[in-house]
Amino acid sequence: MNKGLIIAIVLIVAVVLFMTQSDKKEVSEPAMTKAPPPVQVEPSPAEPAAPEVSLQEAFEMNRAMYGKGHSFAWNGEQHTTDHPEEIEASKEATQANAEALLASAMAKNAEVAKLGFEWKLTGDILKKAQQSIDQGNFQQALNLAAQAKYHARIGIEQYHYAQANWHLSVPE
Amino acid sequence: MRKLTTSFCTVGLLAMFTASPVVADNHAEQIALGKAVYMGKSRGNCVSCHTIADPDAKLAGNQGPPTLSMKARFPDKAKLRAQIWDATKNNPLTIMPPLGKHWILSEEEIDAVVEYIYQF
Amino acid sequence: MKIIKTLALNLAVASASQAALAADSGFDMQTVDPEADRIALQNYFKARFPETEIADYVNGIYAVDAGSREQWEELEEFPPYEFDVEKGEELFNTPFANGKGYADCFENGGIGIRHKYPYWNKDEGTVKTLEQEINECRTDNDEEPLAWGKGAIAQISAYMAWTSRDKVFDIQIPADDERAKAAYLDGKKFFYAKRGQLNLSCANCHVQGTNIRIRADLPSPQLGHVTHFPVFRSKWGALGTLHRRYSGCHKDSRSKPLKPQTETFRNLEYFQSYMSNGLVANGPGARK
Repeated sequence: MNKGLIIAIVLIVAVVLFMTQSDKKEVSEPAMTKAPPPVQVEPSPAEPAAPEVSLQEAFEMNRAMYGKGHSFAWNGEQHTTDHPEEIEASKEATQANAEALLASAMAKNAEVAKLGFEWKLTGDILKKAQQSIDQGNFQQALNLAAQAKYHARIGIEQYHYAQANWHLSVPE
Repeated sequence: MRKLTTSFCTVGLLAMFTASPVVADNHAEQIALGKAVYMGKSRGNCVSCHTIADPDAKLAGNQGPPTLSMKARFPDKAKLRAQIWDATKNNPLTIMPPLGKHWILSEEEIDAVVEYIYQF
Repeated sequence: MKIIKTLALNLAVASASQAALAADSGFDMQTVDPEADRIALQNYFKARFPETEIADYVNGIYAVDAGSREQWEELEEFPPYEFDVEKGEELFNTPFANGKGYADCFENGGIGIRHKYPYWNKDEGTVKTLEQEINECRTDNDEEPLAWGKGAIAQISAYMAWTSRDKVFDIQIPADDERAKAAYLDGKKFFYAKRGQLNLSCANCHVQGTNIRIRADLPSPQLGHVTHFPVFRSKWGALGTLHRRYSGCHKDSRSKPLKPQTETFRNLEYFQSYMSNGLVANGPGARK
């Protein structure tokens, strides 16, 4: 009897240890990020996020966890996890709208190129968007232009992040 | 302890759900897509850094941790998804590309790769 | 580990004292210290690969990976770049249409000078590389410049490297010209900044990721990177210049790659060559 009980206790302790270990593993890395690491906040989609989380952080956390087309509350307001570029691409698929989005995507890409942070595939995506317009496939053109514009915008973000943080990986 | 029970229940429920014949077809397709993304050099190319116990994984690298015990390591599947979407959130220096944030993979491809690796 | 520790520390104080942080760590014009950088890099690799002598880093990945070293040593017995060195010597000694030659453009007739490149040119206010001066020698003598990446320019550079083997790199950053320090800092920053759609810095693979497999490839250590260029690369099936490799690496991060010999790449070469000070020139090399 006693033996069985001991074995059971040992087993439970082992399982609990294992679980807490694996939990630890998950949070040990976030300790290095800027406080507070968003993954630790864990708001359910319906709950408002903690006020110290910026809208951008809340957006990224929700997009990261649930993908696009998901809504979340932040600071008492409802938001969706769609990128602004995706929202632009959901306009009516007309030639005028496709051309306007493509033009703004090209301008954004010129901006990131000037900073020396243009991405490799963006130029091709822009070309394909133009081809789609030429072929009358305006929805595809909108989608491609949105992706290129997003790439350019994140490239600009990446540039600014690099300016402030490049030194972190230098051996000292 | 409560947390532990909950996560066990979740895993159990998930297993039941994924085994249900209604979603089997769709799920098999999603897993096939996830595998293609995991192995594909111009797609996710996850195998270049993460070993995985899939006999089709050839020349796996080891820059990152092996893909195993995913359910135990990530009882919350959404957190696993978030880690793939942008690993720099947890470690700004990581060599792992932010596959979602940099729109390297589509959101559907990320969902698929999560389903695929959750089997290991 | 040290990086990680530093990172945690930096992040802890980052919001409080961004300016003070920069001042403490040598990452701006006031505080950048190339010699401290060089020693820190050597110490980093000493800690990572305690078995490897610093002098052996001229051999790239083969300095730290015993597995591939044997194969490489066999390859070096009949070096694949031998033909290119001979061809380079021939090209080097072939006079231009005006009767002059490469020997007239360089110090010591161009022999045994590879390890002095790149250098800071105060008059022009820019970093000068060997390949750049090979082409300037041509254009100054009314010859067409050569393409930067491969072929004749790599062969001439290989011959010049060959005549400089075992000479010790001694890259100078003149203290009397702030612009030289700025060029060094720019190269250093390029090396450590994450970029491209894949969000990779040079350091991701060639400092942190050294000798850890990416598929079947092992990234080389950044220490000693430049000493063995130009390189006969099996993947290319030919000899290529350092800047050809830079463009390839830059593209691998899914950045729109810069062209060889742009100012950014010359600054990167300046930084990387300074890191190799104290090591010997051993170009041309053979690599996977």
